Amino acid sequence: MERQEEVRANILNIIRDRSESGRLISAEEILTELKRRGLLTSEEIKPKTHLETALKQALQENRDVKEILAPNGVCYYYSVRRLSETYAGILVLKSENPLWLIAEVVRENSKRYPRPVPVAGFMESPFDLTLEAILECLRVMGEDKEYQDIAQTITSVGKTFLYSSRHLDPDYASMLAEWLDVGQADNP
Amino acid sequence: MAKHGGWAGKVLRVDLSTGKISTEDTLEKYRDYLGGTGIGYKVIWDEVQAGVKSFDPANKIVYGVGPLAGTGAPCNGRTAITTLWPTCWPKALVASGHMGGQFAAELKYAGYDAIIIEGRADRPVWLSVWDEKVEIKDARQLWGQGIRRTTIEINQQMGPEASVAAIGQAGENLAPMSVVMNSYSHSAGGVGGVMGSKNLKAIGVRGTGSVRIAGNKEEWEKLIKLHLSLLGANNQHVVPSNPQPWAEHYNAGSRWMASAGRRWGAANPSIDTGACEPHNLNRIAYRTNNAAYFLGDKAWQHTVRGNGCTACPIRCHTMLKVPAVSAKYGIPELGQNTCVGLLFGRAFFKSFPDGPKGQTAIEACMVGMYLADDLGVWDNYGQLQRDFQALYYNGIFKRKVAEKEFNSYSWNKYEQGDPTFLFELLPRIANKEGELATALGLGTGHLLERWGIPEQEWLENHDLLYWKLGHPKHHSNEDAGQCGVIINTQYNRDAQCHSHSNFTRNGLPIEVQKRLAAELWGSPDAVDAVAAFTPMNAHKAKMAKWSLLRKELHDCLSLCNWMGPWVASPLKEREYRGDDSIESLLYSLATGDKKSRQELDTIAERIFLLHRALTIRDMGAKDMRTKHDTIPDWVFTDPKDKAAFSKGTIRMDKEDIKLAMDMFYEEMAWDKETGSPTKATYRRLGLGTVADELAKRGLLP
Repeated sequence: MERQEEVRANILNIIRDRSESGRLISAEEILTELKRRGLLTSEEIKPKTHLETALKQALQENRDVKEILAPNGVCYYYSVRRLSETYAGILVLKSENPLWLIAEVVRENSKRYPRPVPVAGFMESPFDLTLEAILECLRVMGEDKEYQDIAQTITSVGKTFLYSSRHLDPDYASMLAEWLDVGQADNP
Repeated sequence: MAKHGGWAGKVLRVDLSTGKISTEDTLEKYRDYLGGTGIGYKVIWDEVQAGVKSFDPANKIVYGVGPLAGTGAPCNGRTAITTLWPTCWPKALVASGHMGGQFAAELKYAGYDAIIIEGRADRPVWLSVWDEKVEIKDARQLWGQGIRRTTIEINQQMGPEASVAAIGQAGENLAPMSVVMNSYSHSAGGVGGVMGSKNLKAIGVRGTGSVRIAGNKEEWEKLIKLHLSLLGANNQHVVPSNPQPWAEHYNAGSRWMASAGRRWGAANPSIDTGACEPHNLNRIAYRTNNAAYFLGDKAWQHTVRGNGCTACPIRCHTMLKVPAVSAKYGIPELGQNTCVGLLFGRAFFKSFPDGPKGQTAIEACMVGMYLADDLGVWDNYGQLQRDFQALYYNGIFKRKVAEKEFNSYSWNKYEQGDPTFLFELLPRIANKEGELATALGLGTGHLLERWGIPEQEWLENHDLLYWKLGHPKHHSNEDAGQCGVIINTQYNRDAQCHSHSNFTRNGLPIEVQKRLAAELWGSPDAVDAVAAFTPMNAHKAKMAKWSLLRKELHDCLSLCNWMGPWVASPLKEREYRGDDSIESLLYSLATGDKKSRQELDTIAERIFLLHRALTIRDMGAKDMRTKHDTIPDWVFTDPKDKAAFSKGTIRMDKEDIKLAMDMFYEEMAWDKETGSPTKATYRRLGLGTVADELAKRGLLP
């Protein structure tokens, strides 16, 4: 029993350490890290279920540790003490298709706050897309029926914002973009 | 030693006509008014008769600070300067200017809660306040100098610790559009000319005392830490501007600009602002970069650091170093300010050759700060620049100014966005040289009257943002719909209230804002998403009342209403709640006078009511609803003619706003028909004698 607790504690440390650095970690990576740190015995290394059980229990016992499922079916782990659910969501999307990343972030912002998102924001951390990549994504989106709700609006000073027409109508999105880009600073 | 903590215990009174200097007991005379604007309104009510004009010797000017000034309470650096307002048109009415910086704390350390200046000196003077030693000193050698030189000269006499509040040439020349400024960039607009009219160039204050905290010191420390933990960035924006590992929310419009990789590029060595996780109280000062917020990413490379007021970790005055301006314009490469002060120079121009956030725009800001903050020119929350653009591009300057004078300005430079144009314009405003500059220095209302332009034209123009009485709106319908409109009807200058806008702009999702609103004002319907306004309801009226009273409370305690209130926070574990009692907790522990949130709000209401009574008395009118609490026509329009309450417009509906005013007056227990407070309301709030005086004048509803 003590040994199982020790393994779980080691798993938790690895997850929290990774979150501290602003990143997610998969079960595979946890296993690799346990091995690298020499924290598993040879009997414990092989059976995958051993790690899965330990992870499951660690999740149940520690409310800060969360699991997030990536679109490719891989589960990632993180601690909300160091890494928010929002940020984890962005990282998971980032690990996939950038089209999906842009679309889902835009949809979430349009729905929740509500507000459009500046295109330039996707060039910054944690998105780190190049302008060329973003423009290519937008070009492809324009031709893909799955992304027909992603629309653009340009402010009076020429900044492009994206929004989802599922949640914002064009006039509203345009007004909100202008408010974010120009209005707030002009009305300080 | 004062019996209570918090207050210094004395109010300093200086009669410049006679040279008499005296003190009075703060608590004996002003306890019911706390400090700051409270003392200011009380002095004007008791001692300045209706009909007195701003620049008359009979007008008084009150520099009031509050019981929290000079303590360790965060954001306690505000000085309220109350007087009859020279830009208030068509007649001067009571109003206050608010300066941050170090003046408030230094005044407390010198042993005073306020300075009342009366009369008029027969020659230029400055006032030296060095603890108990108060002297009226000859300022003839300072007269004609800018604010920077004046400050340096006085600091050389009093020592670098002294805080100097000085006027520039604009104030000396009685330009109504003038400021008083301390610590080089912390100004109070509108009052420079009143000091000039009294021949008072500056007040230098140095204090070697301290402010006593009455309560348990451990509890005080704990409370300060709680308050610090609730702080966001400037304007209480509680989420960062981009996604960060620790943050559940982010908002591109947030002033919380710090992020890994964003560097103060002109610091030596440069500094990465990094992830300012909200629990790390030692990194609060890195969160805000108002230069980058207003001027764009280019400003990061010019940023040296943040600067600010006593005990405020926010540092909203961003210090910029732009070496190019030395060679190009012959001005210092360093400059600092915030918001409209930072934008002063840029805002005159319609465009720049390299765009609104290019290098030229930054240089225009540097030139603007250099000139305006030395000459002491005020911009009336950007109205000066909006007026300037309209008057030029509509051909009004050309029509109203003699050809020779008009041609003496380099309009080609102006149209091309050349910052050197500011060297032609701003000194002339300060020195009242020529018709154009003199008119601009009067303020909007007096300018329009002088040039025979109907005020109605300004009231209808959406772009000008003009509200009434010579002043613009300040966080009106664009921020909080009807609540913003109500707030903007109440003061005799731009409203200067941030209680509502600091909430609506905090960056949290609307569902979180609504949850907090339900706790604060009784219903989630008190707030709407930006530009998705819903019809008026009683909870919006409650929010308006709360906003106004918190503003007045902050102005009396010396807390910063540009930063507070702190009813939302960046803390997820608190579900983003702040603490609506933070002011009363601070007040109670600092002073030893235990007051609940509700009790302190009642005092704030009394003070706000006295402001209302003063306005009624000096206007000689009780029908405030139609004569004072007016709303410009542009509020009821939309550039795309979208209907009120449709998404994407801030347009208000006339009938709905009538209802809003009804509900507000009801909430305040004022007479609905006239918008005047009733006798019962005055009495309930301890202003029975004020009601009696108004009754004698036939000014009760």
